[in-house]
Amino acid sequence: MIPLPGSRVIVLLLAVLGLALAPLRAANKEINLFAWSEYFPQSVLEGFTKETGIRINYETFASGEEMLAKLLAGGTAYDLVQPPDYIAEALIKNRLLLPLDYAKLPGVKNILPEYLNMAHDPEQRYTLPYMASTVGIVVNTERVKEPVTGLVDLFSERHAGRIVVVDDARELVTAALYVLGHPLNEINAKNLAEARPLLAQWMKRIKLYDSDSPKTALLNGDVDLGYVWGGEAARLWAENPKFAYVIPKEGAHQFVDVMAIPQGAKNVEAAHRFLAYLLRPEVSKAISDEFPYTNPNGAARKLLSPAQLSNPASYPPGNPKFGTFRHLGETGAMIDELITDLKNAR
Amino acid sequence: MHALADTAPAHSSGRRAGVVAWLLLAPLALWLVLFVVVPMLGLLVYSFCQRDDLGRVVYAFSWENYARVFDPIYLKILGRSIGYAALTTVLCVAIGYPVAWYIARQRSPLRERLLLLVMIPFWTSFLIRTYAWIAILKSEGLLNGLLQFSGVITAPLSLLYTPTAVVIGLVYAYLPFMILPIYGSAEKLDNALVEAAHDLGAGPIRAFSHVIIPLTWPGIAAGIMLEFVPAIGMFAITDLMGGAQVPLIGNVIQNQFFRARNAPFGAALGVVFTLMFILTYALAHRRRRAAAA
Repeated sequence: MIPLPGSRVIVLLLAVLGLALAPLRAANKEINLFAWSEYFPQSVLEGFTKETGIRINYETFASGEEMLAKLLAGGTAYDLVQPPDYIAEALIKNRLLLPLDYAKLPGVKNILPEYLNMAHDPEQRYTLPYMASTVGIVVNTERVKEPVTGLVDLFSERHAGRIVVVDDARELVTAALYVLGHPLNEINAKNLAEARPLLAQWMKRIKLYDSDSPKTALLNGDVDLGYVWGGEAARLWAENPKFAYVIPKEGAHQFVDVMAIPQGAKNVEAAHRFLAYLLRPEVSKAISDEFPYTNPNGAARKLLSPAQLSNPASYPPGNPKFGTFRHLGETGAMIDELITDLKNAR
Repeated sequence: MHALADTAPAHSSGRRAGVVAWLLLAPLALWLVLFVVVPMLGLLVYSFCQRDDLGRVVYAFSWENYARVFDPIYLKILGRSIGYAALTTVLCVAIGYPVAWYIARQRSPLRERLLLLVMIPFWTSFLIRTYAWIAILKSEGLLNGLLQFSGVITAPLSLLYTPTAVVIGLVYAYLPFMILPIYGSAEKLDNALVEAAHDLGAGPIRAFSHVIIPLTWPGIAAGIMLEFVPAIGMFAITDLMGGAQVPLIGNVIQNQFFRARNAPFGAALGVVFTLMFILTYALAHRRRRAAAA
């Protein structure tokens, strides 16, 4: 008879496994940062670690919805998250964020007033703006000779099979609502039914859906037009000015990505230190150098070069029509179903 | 067929081994329980739940998710996914069989080297290999460049972000899973049996269809099992090479968990999907046993 190793061995094995996985960290010696991909320069993260000795674990997501899903699933205790404004609104309403301690964030005075007390955080208690941008049209002017001024031009028949759009159901529906003249947060069965035939027509002409890096297909020459994040467009323009950025005349979605500390954060002190660091003008400028979104930090904007400030995708000229997203709640599922159905109908 | 039936009783002699057998099986059983049974039970529970407006799972019983699974939208997506996977499987058998056969018929050092060549791609990440295909197929990519340089075409072909690109990606990803099991069967095949078929008057086609195919069928069947089911659920290739234009069932399930934040509905899709395959497998298994008996 072979002796059984018994449950004691298994318990021991599990204990060893548990030890290996347990967080071997002292409080406030590291930060679990959960943020968009392609949004933090490595130099900025390393600069902070060098100065403070605090290590940053940068985990990325590709959509606000994905961020929310993983945050709520609760696998990791994140210390800092970077939701877009309308997701931040949902988190605040559900009491999932910790209030910020502004005594530790003197640099908040650098933020331009139009980026404070916005609809998602009217009392400015929970969030700090990181970068802002718009969703607009990119045109490869070497390949597209006719003028493109709005969404109707972009999605016209003559551009069929030459368009990339962000793979984001709500952005697509918003474009249709703008063309139909409906407010972009009025998502209801009637407005979606009106948007449906228009979207069905547009979606037959779209070649590629890509939220992570829509600029790649434009650079590769696989498509000639795009409906993309302003920051992506700004990088394209900086690479080659043949990529023009157009704020659609029907209106455009403007968003602010914010930094916030979720409930359950273990390193609140360290998170505040990192936020204070991000508010410094020279740090914020370094972020703009690599990721040319619209910088809400007024003191940092003063450090930018005239070329950076004249990038039309970062700082759209004139006075275009912008709207911001609000948290949708239940009706959000209708958008997803509509777009899945339409993609499927091709 | 007789050989199969004859080996069947041999299994029963192992039944007495009891404790030792269970001990040897314990790691596998533990693995299966932890990473297959427990997650599947979780999925089953989720699939009868509801969600709140943030997308958190609310533990309140509902049939609604299952009602939605059988909506024509999702049935059509499932049908399309099966179509893509079937096409991929057929192409993999057509391409993989001759390769596996050829390798199996080689002499020793060459045979091992050829096998190594089949496996080398696994040393690189799957995503990196998919990105390499993007570099090949894009309109200013390697393939178009080569064809234009050699004068075969004048304007670049539109290859990337098409259904063709998806099928190329799928066949590429799953081909080794077809070659290796067929190789395993083909290598064991006794050449004397093929010669005997010839001696008895079978032509090459008849020898192939009546002798070689039945004898290597276990390898083909294993290859089909290894790739057909994963190919149905694949979502990365459709996103990266197909431009996310046409959803397959894998994309839809992934979207429910992340973009749409509707884990209960995603779970219901997953459960139905899994049940379907268990059922298909059980039926295939029963038919095989019936044929063997």
